[in-house]
Amino acid sequence: MQGFGVALQPMNLFYALLGSVLGTAIGVLPGIGPALTIALLLPVTISVAPTSAFIMFAGVLYGAMYGGSTTSILINTPGEAGSMMTALEGNKMARNGRGAAALATAAIGSFIAGTIATILLTFAAPTIAEIAFVFKPSDYFALTVVAFTSAAVVMGSSRVRGFISLFVGLALGVVGIDKMTGAPRLVFGRPELLDGIDLTVVLVSLFAVGEILFVASRFRPGHDEIIPIKGFAFMTREDWKRSWGPWLRGTALGFPIGALPAGGSEIPTMLSYTIERKLTKYKDEFGKGAIEGVAGPEAANNAAAAGILVPLLTLGLPTSATAAVLLAAFQNYGLQPGPFLFTSNPDLIWGLIASLYVGNFMLLVLNLPLVGVWVRLLLIPRPQLYAGILIFAMIGIWGISGQVADLVIMVAIGIMGYVMRVYDFPIAPVLIGLILGPMAEVQLRTALAAGQGNPAVLIGTPLSTVLLIVAALFLLAPLLLRRLAK
Amino acid sequence: MSWKKAFLPIAVLASFALSGAAQAQVKVMIPANPGGGWDGTGRQAMQAMADAGIYTGGVNFSNVGGAGGTIGLAQFQNSAAGEKDALAVFGAITVGAISMNKSPVDLSKFRPVARLTAEYDVIAVKADSPYKTLKDFVAALKKDPGATAVGGGSAGGVDQITLARLAQEAGVKVTDLNYIPQASGAETVTSIVNGTFAAGISGVSEFAQFADQGRIRILGITSPERQKGIDAPTFKEAGYNVEVANWRGFLGAPDMPEDNYKMWVENFKKLSESDAWKKVLQTQGWQDYYMGGDEFGKFIADETTRISGILKDAGLVK
Amino acid sequence: MSNNPEIPLEGTGSGDGGAAPRPWWLGGAVIALGCVCLYGSAQLPQGARYAAIGPGMFVTVAGGGLVVLGIALLVQIARGEKFEPQDAEDASGHEKANPVALVTALAAAIVPIFTMKPLGLPITAMLSFVLVARAFQSEKMWLDFVYGALLGAASWLLFTRLGLQLGGFLPIAAI
Repeated sequence: MQGFGVALQPMNLFYALLGSVLGTAIGVLPGIGPALTIALLLPVTISVAPTSAFIMFAGVLYGAMYGGSTTSILINTPGEAGSMMTALEGNKMARNGRGAAALATAAIGSFIAGTIATILLTFAAPTIAEIAFVFKPSDYFALTVVAFTSAAVVMGSSRVRGFISLFVGLALGVVGIDKMTGAPRLVFGRPELLDGIDLTVVLVSLFAVGEILFVASRFRPGHDEIIPIKGFAFMTREDWKRSWGPWLRGTALGFPIGALPAGGSEIPTMLSYTIERKLTKYKDEFGKGAIEGVAGPEAANNAAAAGILVPLLTLGLPTSATAAVLLAAFQNYGLQPGPFLFTSNPDLIWGLIASLYVGNFMLLVLNLPLVGVWVRLLLIPRPQLYAGILIFAMIGIWGISGQVADLVIMVAIGIMGYVMRVYDFPIAPVLIGLILGPMAEVQLRTALAAGQGNPAVLIGTPLSTVLLIVAALFLLAPLLLRRLAK
Repeated sequence: MSWKKAFLPIAVLASFALSGAAQAQVKVMIPANPGGGWDGTGRQAMQAMADAGIYTGGVNFSNVGGAGGTIGLAQFQNSAAGEKDALAVFGAITVGAISMNKSPVDLSKFRPVARLTAEYDVIAVKADSPYKTLKDFVAALKKDPGATAVGGGSAGGVDQITLARLAQEAGVKVTDLNYIPQASGAETVTSIVNGTFAAGISGVSEFAQFADQGRIRILGITSPERQKGIDAPTFKEAGYNVEVANWRGFLGAPDMPEDNYKMWVENFKKLSESDAWKKVLQTQGWQDYYMGGDEFGKFIADETTRISGILKDAGLVK
Repeated sequence: MSNNPEIPLEGTGSGDGGAAPRPWWLGGAVIALGCVCLYGSAQLPQGARYAAIGPGMFVTVAGGGLVVLGIALLVQIARGEKFEPQDAEDASGHEKANPVALVTALAAAIVPIFTMKPLGLPITAMLSFVLVARAFQSEKMWLDFVYGALLGAASWLLFTRLGLQLGGFLPIAAI
């Protein structure tokens, strides 16, 4: 309770607000996520008291999540891997004139997930943190295999083209220095490729640039007057009914996986999407704008963001780029996160945790009224709207690396995105391959190396066995059911 | 509502942004992403220099991350050559990365300004491991190097050099080692605790608190003398002549004019003696490892020969 | 970057979209991409002492998979597989492609490669903005110049202020 006393001081409320606004502003730019934002704000920590600084960072962390989902839904430009799944259904909803409902379910889902996750963080953090030590490389590998099943549900109409997309993603994923041996792969002597092809560049190029090229080539002026914008309808009673299940399931997936060292937000959002698609009663709506497909991944994304704080605060274990930057911030103050911080600096820790509740609430209050304003962005005339999207895509790509090579890759992958749209190749499997391929590879090789090449290690733990069975069920169950039905 | 109105708040923000533009004088290339160790070293050093009144002019940082710093330094080598006031941060990892990636970066072309900090490596096992001392561990390594998997940082990095040097001293073939690079210290430490790896190697700062928590046991440290707060002997005390430091420092642009070069060497010398810098070292937990000018140049050349030799033995460089 | 593996070069010109009944080149492009991977993996060790899987293995799998899938796609094309362009907002898959608009939009994406470093972000943004708006048949070109310049300059100021490195405002004039 003393934590709320700290967090509700006017000065700290101001920092929470500032953080939320900055986070949202930067989250709107593709590719500029919370890790980079906090890193850029690090110099501030010299002049601000630690509690206030961390309260601001908490606002940035959650604010960036909100900003990212807004662009995914409205202009089909996910900036981070975590909001990729949101774009799939969310943008379809926006096109059907239900953008406001999509933004609302994302905002409320994020709030609920963030709040539940923060409650768990408050009361169960030390216990949850221990799972970080349980997961072995073989378990991580099995987890990526389960996540790969999400590729199957976004395959589109043709298996061959779906798999081509997936394999193109896998091929893009191996470019760069091999993590295990340091050998350069598919680099062809270009030093810019040594660090691999940046996920953001692919994400932005495929979604935004590919879309601009495609729409431009088939655009008829005057069309936009006809596009129906069915009011700025908020969520209906039915939307609520269909959203709460995905919110809770998304939270349940996101929080623990976010707390794992190699977890992150990608796997839980993909899993959440897969599960919602399998569980829904409105199967034919998926791919055309199903609200479950927005509610679940958005909740999972935010819960994962809270999840990373668990091992950081309780063990001093940074499990993601964002956590590593936060750890650096602690060290700037000469503080070492870990079990001792709870006793030596209770004001800071509980103030930070309380500010997570406050920041979350603040973002909800800020964002719900803004939903109407954001949706109005779509009223900008199409030529200027698409031009603006390209500018933001460009700034995002230029801002993360400042390398001309990335602009070249943007054009190349943008053309690929165009061709894929013309010949009906699904886009999402490319990104699934690109994100999960390298994770699966590293964990597989680590597991095998530690087990001296004995493949039995892959089912060496109960958890990995269970996960692999789950993956098999995901893929085979529909086939089996069809067989049985005949 | 007219969409033109949407520009209004942006215009307001723009005027607010204009007011703060500062004229920069010295360029500092940080060949790593914001928030990491090199970024901290670069920014804190320049800040401390301003605080101590040694150099109070503007500083223009640019971050170009990737591949052990070779991407940023390659860019710096071309674009900053001959500039008067252009500096770059780099470290021990760069030396290995250059030979691993066949990078066009040639460290001998740069002007060596100062080596500032170092972090020593430690080797650790899980708390209830049968290996009580470094000798126990080395005995196991000798008996069956394959079954003694060791985790640590990136391939060819300082952690792998530490293991390779230990193996050489103990008479184990470096190519027989089962070294498994991990993406972060967090993954190394969890894999030590759950028994995936027999041991792990990392910088002191990443392991120390887990030893305090009683999850892992530190068997040895690669420093020349014992370190305060670390309850472990040095590798040397344990009988292995291994000394490895993950050092960081500053380079000047290739062909920097002699006068400017002298000034920067002098500035960093003053920095290393200043109270502002000592305070930074203390809060960050960094070890002072100052060495300046031509002496540092010789050190870089020695490290280059030593590290690429080890990487060749390990089969990482052909 | 002429050797960039993911450009199906022929794609640039084939703006006639769904009208092309037999897009053989599509299968060819997939196979070519696979071959690039296989060529790259041939120089990498496939095995490893302890992990059994070496750095080349995944590259080989990705490349081999692409070659096989490319052949499968060619078979499908030979059998007369239909390729329906996806529907997007503001664009119907059944429309005929407009090559001029496509090339103009593509130019907007290519321009930054040449202008970002020397001319800086605000001017680059302005040029790209005008080109995209042009591709979408905007008739008020002079207004687009103004909007583009405003948007570019405002974003540069805002995001540079927030700490992003976007280069100089107008590097050619050393600002």
